[in-house]
Amino acid sequence: MSLLRLENVTKQFGGLVAVDKVSLEIAKGEFVGIVGPNGSGKTTLFNVINGVFYPEEGRVFFDETDITRMPPYKRAPLGIARTFQIPRPFASATVRENVAVGAMFGSRGKSVNVEQSLEIADRVIERIGLTGHGRKNAGMLTPVEKKFMEIARALAMQPRLLLMDEAMAGMHPGEIDNMVKFLVEVAKQEKIAIVAMVEHIMRAVVNMAEKVIVLDHGEKIVDAPTRQALSDPRVVDVYLGKGAEEENADSSSA
Amino acid sequence: MKNRLRPYYPLLPVFAAYLVLFLVGRNVTGMWQLAATLVFYCALGQAFNIFLGMTGYVDFGYVAFLGIGTYGMATAITGLAGYPQLGLGIVAIGFILAIVMATLLSMAVGAVALRLRGAYFAIATIGVNEGFRYLIEGANLWNGSSGMIFTAQLNEILGRDLSSRIMTFWADVMVLFIAAAAAVVTLLYMKSKIGYALTALREDEDAAKVMGINVTKYKIIAFITSASFAGTVGAASWALKTPYVFPPEVFEIHYTIEAIIIVMLGGAGTMLGPVVGALIYGISKYYLSIFLPGFQLFIFALVIIFIIVMFPEGVVGVIKGKTRNTAIAPYIM
Repeated sequence: MSLLRLENVTKQFGGLVAVDKVSLEIAKGEFVGIVGPNGSGKTTLFNVINGVFYPEEGRVFFDETDITRMPPYKRAPLGIARTFQIPRPFASATVRENVAVGAMFGSRGKSVNVEQSLEIADRVIERIGLTGHGRKNAGMLTPVEKKFMEIARALAMQPRLLLMDEAMAGMHPGEIDNMVKFLVEVAKQEKIAIVAMVEHIMRAVVNMAEKVIVLDHGEKIVDAPTRQALSDPRVVDVYLGKGAEEENADSSSA
Repeated sequence: MKNRLRPYYPLLPVFAAYLVLFLVGRNVTGMWQLAATLVFYCALGQAFNIFLGMTGYVDFGYVAFLGIGTYGMATAITGLAGYPQLGLGIVAIGFILAIVMATLLSMAVGAVALRLRGAYFAIATIGVNEGFRYLIEGANLWNGSSGMIFTAQLNEILGRDLSSRIMTFWADVMVLFIAAAAAVVTLLYMKSKIGYALTALREDEDAAKVMGINVTKYKIIAFITSASFAGTVGAASWALKTPYVFPPEVFEIHYTIEAIIIVMLGGAGTMLGPVVGALIYGISKYYLSIFLPGFQLFIFALVIIFIIVMFPEGVVGVIKGKTRNTAIAPYIM
């Protein structure tokens, strides 16, 4: 049974079709990479999944419940969490308070009070390796620390589905590997399905995703197990332009 | 024991300031009027801060809630003047009416305007204030533009002595209590889920939504709370202190501007900010109008521009930043 299912979802902005009849399924606990160049509709797809936009056509199901037109604040408690491409911390609040907000309002099905939320926040902060930063203002963290904080904030919600928008952008390879290791571990332990959207950092996708979905101009062009997807000629076309493979073959032979 | 009281430490400097204001006003000859004005500004700032400071939304029509609170008290006094046996009960009813009417107005305004964001909200709320004033005048509500004068009724109900004591002293003391109550509510909100939700939506409304916060609900909570405090301030400071009400006076937009200045100057969203802002603003306005009459608004414009550019977090915001991890940190919020 799928955790998330999209059926023929279309989202338009005026004449621009940002997401074009996309259907996909994410299983419980599955680790999926969504790749595609800039403007391929990845972020819009995320916004449709967590309710920032409602699609013009198609349906979104979470745990077999139709959530197509459910406001975002009601989706979070069902277990849908996300991080943003450019981190969006609550800058004047401390890291601890930021993470506590996740636990306080996003926790699935149960009411968590302020004290409990702060305790959860302390645990998550320690687990993600931000120990010692808890009482800093979130606005004072470095960009990479902010990314970690956003993930901590999302994990404090105890999600079942974690949508990560370019979580690894701007990190150096060592940090990416640490992040990937951490995410794989957490996902296994807490049975979280992770959908990571990636533009360029294939290193991350190859190492963690079980399945890769490739978008191009709002359309889903590939949906396959990772190895298979990345060797698909259509993926090469999308990233390097049509005919790149042949050219590449030519130049290497020359 | 010590630990359990610690969350309430930020109230101490606020209450200390109020106590000093009261004592100076009482004991220094000729200071009561200045103290009363400062207390009014404190209450105005403390009430407005619950909305402006905690949500980051600027309500340019805020004075309308003071205005309608004034009418609430006026309605109780004129309507119940035939029952002098109710005595001070009429004043209590007046406060309840002020709260109810301010709440209803804020629900009506909030239902429409709180769907708008940022500048659009601000513009829509200016319209509410002016619109409401013209509604009263045009539809001849509460005597329309001729206003209501109810000194005689107040005298009749409470007797001449008590009513003049109320006008010259107790009304101001009530405003002081309202300011203190607004401070307590601010602290309780800050320590609860409401405060966390408001901070989140003030900093980033979209991120707050996807984290499970029903932002509309929390904005409305802050709006209604702030408006009902404004209603009581109007009832005490404008209806009981000066028992008459004219629409152009109680819907005068410059009170909203003053409230914004006070909150921004002191530090939006802080506990102590409105008090500090009110004292700086009130005292400098008073002395500027003596030494440089006519120039005070010009000077304030410059001061505000300077503050917003250099210290967007306000005086208390700066102090809070500087005192982090020091012994006085628990008192500054």
